[in-house]
Amino acid sequence: MKKLRIILATLAGKLLIFAGRVAGKKGSYTPGVIAMKIYPDILKHLSRQVREEIVFVCGTNGKTTTNNLLCSLLEASGKKVVCNKVGANMLAGVACSFIESASVFGNLDADYASIECDEASLRHAVKHMRADKVVITNLFRDQLDRYGEIEDTIGLLNEAFDKVGDTTLILNGDDPMSATFGIGRNAVYYGINENCSEDVKETNEGRFCTVCGADIKYNYYHYSQLGDWYCSGCDFKRPYIDYSADNIDLDGKLAFDINGEVRLDLNYRGFYNIYNVLAAYAAYDMLGLKSDNINKVLGAYKPQIGRMEPFMVGGKLTVLNLAKNPAGFNQAIATLAADKRTKDVLIAINDCPSDGMDISWLWDVDFEKLGEVGVKSIYASGERKHDTALRLKYAGFENVETVDITADTLRRIAGGNGEVCYLLVNYTVLFATQNILKTISDKG
Amino acid sequence: MKITIAHLYPDMLNLYGDSGNIATLKHRLVSRGIDAEIKTYVIEDDIDFENTDIVFIGGGGEREQLTVCNRLKEISSDLKAYAENGGVILAVCGGFEVLGKYYKTASATVEGAGVLDITTDYCDKKFVGNAVIESDLIGTTIVGFENHSGRVDIGTHTPLGKVLCGFGHNGKGAEGVVYKNVIATYLHGPLLPKNPVLADYILSKAIEKRYGTADLAPIDDTLEIAAHDYAVGRFLSK
Repeated sequence: MKKLRIILATLAGKLLIFAGRVAGKKGSYTPGVIAMKIYPDILKHLSRQVREEIVFVCGTNGKTTTNNLLCSLLEASGKKVVCNKVGANMLAGVACSFIESASVFGNLDADYASIECDEASLRHAVKHMRADKVVITNLFRDQLDRYGEIEDTIGLLNEAFDKVGDTTLILNGDDPMSATFGIGRNAVYYGINENCSEDVKETNEGRFCTVCGADIKYNYYHYSQLGDWYCSGCDFKRPYIDYSADNIDLDGKLAFDINGEVRLDLNYRGFYNIYNVLAAYAAYDMLGLKSDNINKVLGAYKPQIGRMEPFMVGGKLTVLNLAKNPAGFNQAIATLAADKRTKDVLIAINDCPSDGMDISWLWDVDFEKLGEVGVKSIYASGERKHDTALRLKYAGFENVETVDITADTLRRIAGGNGEVCYLLVNYTVLFATQNILKTISDKG
Repeated sequence: MKITIAHLYPDMLNLYGDSGNIATLKHRLVSRGIDAEIKTYVIEDDIDFENTDIVFIGGGGEREQLTVCNRLKEISSDLKAYAENGGVILAVCGGFEVLGKYYKTASATVEGAGVLDITTDYCDKKFVGNAVIESDLIGTTIVGFENHSGRVDIGTHTPLGKVLCGFGHNGKGAEGVVYKNVIATYLHGPLLPKNPVLADYILSKAIEKRYGTADLAPIDDTLEIAAHDYAVGRFLSK
């Protein structure tokens, strides 16, 4: 009877995932919900079959990239991996990724699982499966109507860690919020050991020590609350960094050393990607795996949908990037600033529940900085295009055009006077925009 | 002509893009040839109420709100005198709660600055969402976003408006408080950018107090009105 329900749950899940794909859906949620209704222990049953370890990746920004980098490293080492690649990261989405990897009889052939998990869902996920390693990318202010204040997110993650039993945390040591989880727990840390960024005006989360409440001070500072920090009131400070990046070169690429042992030379951009790579490398190393091809594997990694994803539209490079909170937007703007070409820019903001319905955070983004990065023309789009246009007006742009994202408007924007076109969009705008870009991008 | 705006404690209160309010007040002054001075006060600073025309208090996390509330209690006699004397205050989100007699959290009752004769109880069900209210004070709608566990009893004070969409300060149809030139509301963060009529009301009260009369020339509000009307149209039709 139990066996039958396992098969039914797996089969139903697989069929619904397939039906969803046919209907054009990327992530999966409902199939997982239904499979878990048919057999509530389906995730327990499947995850138990993972032969080696299960790694969770949590945090505000960089989850999907970090998790996929780790998955690439594992697969390049010849391992079979369960991975929720497109970032369906609530419990039901996690269930979908296991169901997809399983046979219809509910058998799973996997060495590792590399699972991106929403910060609020980890406490549910660990009831169903072990978490041998948990990576935290960072904790930034994000969608307050969904997650509440950052202190609430810390509480939810602590709840998960208290349930999980034996685990090793892999934490961003440059982040005073994330480092909190390491207190009294088994943890290793990664971080950037070099002062290499200009000062960015940003909403600074975590300015107060999570231990004693005094001000957090910095020897140097990267962005948001990340840097070489110490508490002015107690002895809580940036921990010893087990996996560090040095000798950083950001000039048109991303090159750095890890622990002075491995030199990475990657062709994707964005300072924040150093953290994603470090986190994935740390997890890989902590799993006891070694490779001589790290640089090659990470270099061949193709960024996921909308992570500075390039398209050619009418001969013009058009870059699609997901940005969904102030930290993400400010990093995207920093990446635009590092690109010296002139540019046409579209900002698109939706306010669906999965985007966060509250768009107040637009005023925490340093859009003023966009005025200094060679913007030729600027467009506002999404459900909240009027709010976005108004915010951009205050950032000093006089002629902000509001548009809806269609093939025609994207062609027109890409055909502007800039040398390159950037589309910065939040979550629910992303997939539709990518679909249009695929249809209008230059072939061959 | 110059208007001085005191931004209270953004080192503590910066939860939801509150700076949009300061930017709006400044823009609407400067566009009319009026000088705007923004004085940013951190928690230990003394406030120069004498030379202040508008006080802005935003929202923060629970711990930061407590720190701010304790500080406001220390200066409450000056703050009360400023308000009683017609000084302009805009308080949003947690700023609304700390101006009252007390506010409750899940675990404590915190005595407030007592500028307003209101009290705030705690409820574990949060009121979260877009809101539209109709305000007799300014003769039009005010749009915004609310996210609060507090339920405010505004006593005999006048509400800022009637809730057309959303919950309001206690779920009973009213939102916010107007007392003399103090305006307090749960509509948080960047309240003023897309409520230009409210912004001008606040400015005109400040200018009248300092200079006797206020005559604010119209400025280009195309984008402001588009954002306002979009919210009204979308959330009222639901």
